[in-house]
Amino acid sequence: MDRNLGILVAALLLVASTCESAIFNPVSESHRSAASELLSSADGSFGSLEETYEALKTFEVLGIEKKPDIRTSACVSAVKILSSTSSALKDLFHALRVNGVLKCELNDQAFPGIGSKLKDSLNGASSLLDFYYSIGGLILIKDQTSEVDVHISDADRIFRSIKALSQSDGRWRLNSNNPESSNDAAGIALEALSGVISLASSEIDSSLIATLKNDISKLFDGVEKYDDGTCYFDEKLVDAHGHKGPLSASASIVRGITALAAVSSENLNLPGEKVLGLAKFFLGIGIPGSAKDLYYQIDALSCLESIRGSVPLILSLPATVLSVTKKDQLKVKVSTVLGSAAPPLSVKLMQIFVSGSKDASVIDQKLKFDPENSVHVLETLPTNVDVGNYIFSFEIIFDEPEHKNKYATGGRTRVPIHVTGVIKIDSAEIAILENDLGSVETQKKLDLPGESAVALSANHLQKLRLSFRLTTPSGQVFKPHQAFLKLKHDSGVEHIFVVANSGKKFEIILDFLGLVDKFFYLSGTYDLQLTVGDSVMENSFLQPLGHIELDLPEAPEKAARPPPQPVDMYSRYGPKAEISHIFRVPEKRPPRELSLAFFGLVILPFFGFLAGLFHLRANLKNFPKSIHATFAILFHLGIAAVLSLYALFWFKLDLFTTLKTLGLLGIFLMFVGHKTLSHLASTSAKLKTT
Amino acid sequence: MAAPKSVAVFFAVLNLISLLPFIAFSFSPDQPTDRKILVLLDDLSLKSSHSIFFNTLQSRGFDLDFKLADDPSIAVKRYGQYLYDGLVLFSPSADRFGGSLNIEGVLDFVDSGHDLILAGDSNASDLIRNIAAECGVEFDEDTSAMVIDHAGYAVSETEGDHTLIASDEFIQSDVILGSKKLEAPVLFKGIGHSLNPENSLVLKVLSASSSAYSANPTSKLSNPPSLTGTSISLVSVVQARNNARIMISGSLGLFSNRLFRSGVQKIGSLNKYEKSGNEQFVTELSKWIFHERGHLKAVHLKHNKIGETEEPSIYRINDDLEFSVEIFEWSGTSWVPYVANDVQVQFYMMSPYVLKTLSTNQKGLYHTSFKVPDVYGVFQFKIEYQRLGYTTLSLSKQVNIHSCVSFHKFC
Repeated sequence: MDRNLGILVAALLLVASTCESAIFNPVSESHRSAASELLSSADGSFGSLEETYEALKTFEVLGIEKKPDIRTSACVSAVKILSSTSSALKDLFHALRVNGVLKCELNDQAFPGIGSKLKDSLNGASSLLDFYYSIGGLILIKDQTSEVDVHISDADRIFRSIKALSQSDGRWRLNSNNPESSNDAAGIALEALSGVISLASSEIDSSLIATLKNDISKLFDGVEKYDDGTCYFDEKLVDAHGHKGPLSASASIVRGITALAAVSSENLNLPGEKVLGLAKFFLGIGIPGSAKDLYYQIDALSCLESIRGSVPLILSLPATVLSVTKKDQLKVKVSTVLGSAAPPLSVKLMQIFVSGSKDASVIDQKLKFDPENSVHVLETLPTNVDVGNYIFSFEIIFDEPEHKNKYATGGRTRVPIHVTGVIKIDSAEIAILENDLGSVETQKKLDLPGESAVALSANHLQKLRLSFRLTTPSGQVFKPHQAFLKLKHDSGVEHIFVVANSGKKFEIILDFLGLVDKFFYLSGTYDLQLTVGDSVMENSFLQPLGHIELDLPEAPEKAARPPPQPVDMYSRYGPKAEISHIFRVPEKRPPRELSLAFFGLVILPFFGFLAGLFHLRANLKNFPKSIHATFAILFHLGIAAVLSLYALFWFKLDLFTTLKTLGLLGIFLMFVGHKTLSHLASTSAKLKTT
Repeated sequence: MAAPKSVAVFFAVLNLISLLPFIAFSFSPDQPTDRKILVLLDDLSLKSSHSIFFNTLQSRGFDLDFKLADDPSIAVKRYGQYLYDGLVLFSPSADRFGGSLNIEGVLDFVDSGHDLILAGDSNASDLIRNIAAECGVEFDEDTSAMVIDHAGYAVSETEGDHTLIASDEFIQSDVILGSKKLEAPVLFKGIGHSLNPENSLVLKVLSASSSAYSANPTSKLSNPPSLTGTSISLVSVVQARNNARIMISGSLGLFSNRLFRSGVQKIGSLNKYEKSGNEQFVTELSKWIFHERGHLKAVHLKHNKIGETEEPSIYRINDDLEFSVEIFEWSGTSWVPYVANDVQVQFYMMSPYVLKTLSTNQKGLYHTSFKVPDVYGVFQFKIEYQRLGYTTLSLSKQVNIHSCVSFHKFC
């Protein structure tokens, strides 16, 4: 969890890791709007009485008057629980809390019953939560009605039995059977013990209070601390819903020590720096996204707002980016965690560190208080502050010395300040130099930042020189973080060079002879682009300078190829060009009449054949007669069927159907053909013998 | 002894059967709802600090399962079935995951068609960098580097190092970022990445401006930074060939309530926005990632001769045919007709013989008609629909083309 919480702080506060100082702002308007947004349920009610109380408390602390219309429904369920005799201890406690905020119309007869019930359960209690709910309930009754005697006579015994659950490291266990101790339970125990003290009918044994003070100091020894001063109580036991964590544990302890500080007669000697660290932890969370976390944060902050002995004061700056050109004033605001006014005090600027170095200049200057806006103003920045990143160290001095014991300021507060300004750019020029002699071939002045479109040309034996000078408003040489010269070839290949500073001037000399390999021997037009920027330079710019025509030698075979350039992602998609099929042109045919004439000519010999048959007096007299005629006719019909089958095959049928039918027809033909032929053979044999 | 054993087996089977409804599958057109997402966090407080993002997901019907990245009970797979449909890795500093999940597990999860949202941040761990690298995205190797832009930062009274960038260089795609134009710039604070130019599946959704560079803001630069200008991608998405979708962001803060609620003014611009574009950007992008947009399906691919309704087994050359297909898009709750004018069909054998744009009735039906080419052979009706941000439609149906003369019956 330690590592994880590191991320939490890094992610939530977005604090630069190298910066050991950070700004925390008190609760502001954005919290209020976020709370109304987060806690506005659709039907105006919350899940349970506990959630209702948390929402009501958050609204109350943030001063949101327009409570959603939850009063009626919440009161109904609270009164129902308070009037019932069989309500659980926990429900009674939450109902009393809701009643405390809403002042529901409850008849006073209910209170004595509840009071005696709570007292009974207090006598029989063994677990920490039982003690907490009973004592908490009694205190709530004490606040809500004066008719019930809530004092406990055996306060010492109860004090001791709660104390028995404490561990040597200042943590508490929830009950004697559970060996696990937690910070969350410690907070609950402290709150319960403070209740015992305030309900006690006689003074609690002072030795008990002394051991309790010892426990608290041990508890604070176990606090986790960050470089920026943030403190929190870690929680090893994380329940399945994630409700218990460092936030809930820290909130619980803050509630506990606040309650204890309020009732104990002696000073608890709370470590002011750690209390301030806790306040920074709760503020550093920003605006939590869940109603539960928001309640923990706001409730803890409201406790810290009134904690006796060390009310944390938050030093915040509305702006930490200051422009020397615009003569911005450094303003410091001191307030409590919830943003209410601090006691009369003055703020002193003690030291200024240059960011990233140990150099510090001692200033010791008092800031002027502007009562109208209740801010402390440094009217002019010290003369030795030029543009740059600084860490300013402030100290809070109370006008009345006794406030020192009431408030926690945490000593010096270090705040990172960015001082920005307009940087003057002059003597900017670009030139082409001859390689061996160093003589200037062409030289052009540049207007930075502004418009420029130089057209240069060079070969691989020449050099390109770009130089310019940067000065801060106070006349010092300025070294920006970003000073890049970019050469971009037509094909998209880019080369970036850092422009280095040599003394007072920024200068870069590109010797093309040494760069041909890096340029992949690509001749052609290169666009020149200069980027100068820094976080404190108000006129950071990116400017195309023009172009240079480079004439480089041919690439040798082994030279590296330029890397592939990313393809434009939009061109990868989109419809393709349509394709339509080009049909074969049908072959040229002769006219129809000619074809028919040829058809006639082709068919003519057939008629000649028929005529020949007739001429030779061919006849069918030998056609078998009687029964044999049937077979002969069937045989000829079969032949005709085969021929028609072929015709069908041509037009319609496929090979398989045709072959199947042909097979059947063939068997039939064989049978009738055999009959016919055998008859013919027998008749011709008869003719021969006769 | 046999009886108790069989009883045990019976109960085991009963358990399995009762588990079945809870086993989730990747996005499938048949069962597109009931989606479970595993969210791995570095710290449970992220649940609260990034609650707007999580709440929008939950309000869209996703079931989020939050776990710490080092929780030993993490498992994405049980009995060969994936338990989740999506994975959100909000754990930039996790060196390794708890339980059985490792980098191969995450990649297998994506390879089986599931979606992933990955957020890096400054000081991102090697594990997160490696997962991103496997998806085709290289985070800046310098672990202390952040994206800095002195000419495109968000104006702030308290943030002076120009690492909070206001970027408005979005991908031009309605399907990825929604049809509503993003007015306000998106706030980004984190690390940049570059895309492998040879990987055509990864798309730059939010890119840095030409004056940006990736470097350590506190140390002096002596060498040119490895990432500069518009080649820096701030947020990228990947649509894998199996339609798994991945989002990779170099900033976890991009999703945070703080930046969602923050106002924004880009330096040099007079437009001041009450609210940054982050919420709209992230919400719309997450809709795309979880297939609530841009997921297409094509059904009822049909073809027939003009004047007939039956699908013939063969066509003869020069027949006139009609072709139609229906395309639907998943809207998050139902399939709605997809309307476009650039759906094309190919009549294909080795190469397209006919490629025609389909006309649409605006209700999801796309149709056309053409004459069968006078080439015999086995052809395919092919729909190859690849558009930026949409899932790829690739389907085909085979038909034969015969001649009308008999001797070709022997082929």
